[in-house]
Amino acid sequence: MQVNDTHKSRRGTIVFAIGCLLLQVMLSPNIGMGNGHINFALVFVGVYALATGGKSAVVAGFVAGLLFDLLSTGPIGLMAGLLTLLGFGLGIEERNRFSDGFVSSLSTFGVASLVVTSVYHLAMYMLGSSAGIVDLLLLRILPTFALTYVAFLPFAYFQVRNTASGRAKHASGKSAGLRENHYDTRNL
Amino acid sequence: MPKMPSMPSSRNRPSTSKLRRGDASGGTGLVTIILVIVSLIIFTVSVRENGNGFFSSTRSVVQTVVSPLRMAGAAITAPFTGMGNVMRNLTADEKTLSDLKAENERLSARNVELEEAEITARQLQELLDLKSSYDLQSTAARVIAGSTDSWTSSVTIDKGTASGIVVGMPVVNGKGAVGQVISSAATTATVRLLSDESSSVSAMIQSSRAQGMLRGSPDGTLYLSFIRTDNAVNAGDVVVTSGLGGVFPKGLPLGKVASVESVPGSTYYTIVVEPFTTVANLEEVLVITSLTEEQEATAEDIAAADAADLAAASGQRVGAQGEQGEGKDDSEGSNTNESSENEGQGSSDSSTNGSSSDNDSSSISGSSSSSVQTNGESKKLGNNESTGEVQEEQGYSSPHDTTGRAG
Repeated sequence: MQVNDTHKSRRGTIVFAIGCLLLQVMLSPNIGMGNGHINFALVFVGVYALATGGKSAVVAGFVAGLLFDLLSTGPIGLMAGLLTLLGFGLGIEERNRFSDGFVSSLSTFGVASLVVTSVYHLAMYMLGSSAGIVDLLLLRILPTFALTYVAFLPFAYFQVRNTASGRAKHASGKSAGLRENHYDTRNL
Repeated sequence: MPKMPSMPSSRNRPSTSKLRRGDASGGTGLVTIILVIVSLIIFTVSVRENGNGFFSSTRSVVQTVVSPLRMAGAAITAPFTGMGNVMRNLTADEKTLSDLKAENERLSARNVELEEAEITARQLQELLDLKSSYDLQSTAARVIAGSTDSWTSSVTIDKGTASGIVVGMPVVNGKGAVGQVISSAATTATVRLLSDESSSVSAMIQSSRAQGMLRGSPDGTLYLSFIRTDNAVNAGDVVVTSGLGGVFPKGLPLGKVASVESVPGSTYYTIVVEPFTTVANLEEVLVITSLTEEQEATAEDIAAADAADLAAASGQRVGAQGEQGEGKDDSEGSNTNESSENEGQGSSDSSTNGSSSDNDSSSISGSSSSSVQTNGESKKLGNNESTGEVQEEQGYSSPHDTTGRAG
């Protein structure tokens, strides 16, 4: 029996993207620590790239970054380029890396988001948007990273649980003689 | 937390697709390079746009579109922001609370000070406005005390002869005329208010230009005398200084007509005036030190006042003749003279103002000033003691110019 769940997955991706967009517009400006705010575009691209990867993650990174740039006051294209690279880097294996476990996905995203946040703010610093390197580090990079990382936790937890339950279903289906590869989520 | 939609995953992908994955990775890399280059181009262009170009316009459109969402987000998160403050307050230690109480007390006291300063500034601004609008040569003073006895309606100001304040100078505040200096020490001066019983100021109805004399009374009520009944006077009409006598500048507000009463057979109205200035709101004042010619009554004003008084005098003379009947031609001249003396406003002023030295200062100043007002563009006011002497010597021979219109 062939189960094709592409349509359902695409709808889930769209809902997730819209949710992150709304959170970025409505929630992010009002929740801050120091001068840092949650980057939901980074959260979205991180989750999507870790879960799917591939070309679609790269495109998603570009679009999400461009929207982030348009919604912020920084130069347009900076976050777009960074999230494009993030989508490529996290999704290069083109597999669901949440299946490696919760800690593994957290550490991967942690490193990647710290790099993206640092590069972004360093670029802003070089463009003259920040007065000092200490302020840049303590009031912008670290708070933004911390908040974004915390915002990533529930999404990662859900993805890990979802992956585990899917794997269990798959195992039970396999024991019942069902065929593999009944999910085809590529090219969303 | 609502259940999130599951993300698509590539789990359980068959191992047989490794070759195809390699092709896809190559395509992904190409797409990545293209999009990064595009990002760099956009970045470069947007930085060079300097806030005026395609991307800046696009950003403006996007910001406009999402602004309702931003406002909704702010409204939604407002309670949580407040909760953050509540949590901070709940966890505040005793020192923080005591510091806040002290700060609150300090700020409350400061607030009272600032409110007081604001009121003072407003009053001073009114004085400045008055000073500039009337082009007054004046000295600002602060009222430091009220009347020291129950017989006079006066205030004490904090400027005296050391500041050039002399007896007879008129005093005004932001609402109009206040009174006249009746005594001056080195650092203080006493100002008789308009409501004082022995005060009288030459005044006129602003609308009809009917001229008369504003007098105080024992109960503080102001009466506007010598307004003939053939003039139109209504309650609410504004009463201003006429400038006759040369003490008060012409046109200073005094009050408004509260009531008008016409007694049958009387030549004049009985007019009660409600003053614009009361002792209660008297804090900062201006003492007018000199007047220019433009601020004094013109020759036409003086002539009009004289004509009105002559008309009133002749009217009473005719009445007196009618009462006396024929056959009293011998005594007519003397009767006329008496009525003329009594009718001239000097008669009323002399009875009111000439009885004491204080009264002299309020009414006779007009006589002295009128005697010198044509000598220069700006004349120094005051020195009423000498004017009192002048008045006594002149004996009210010219009532309008010299005695009647104080101020």
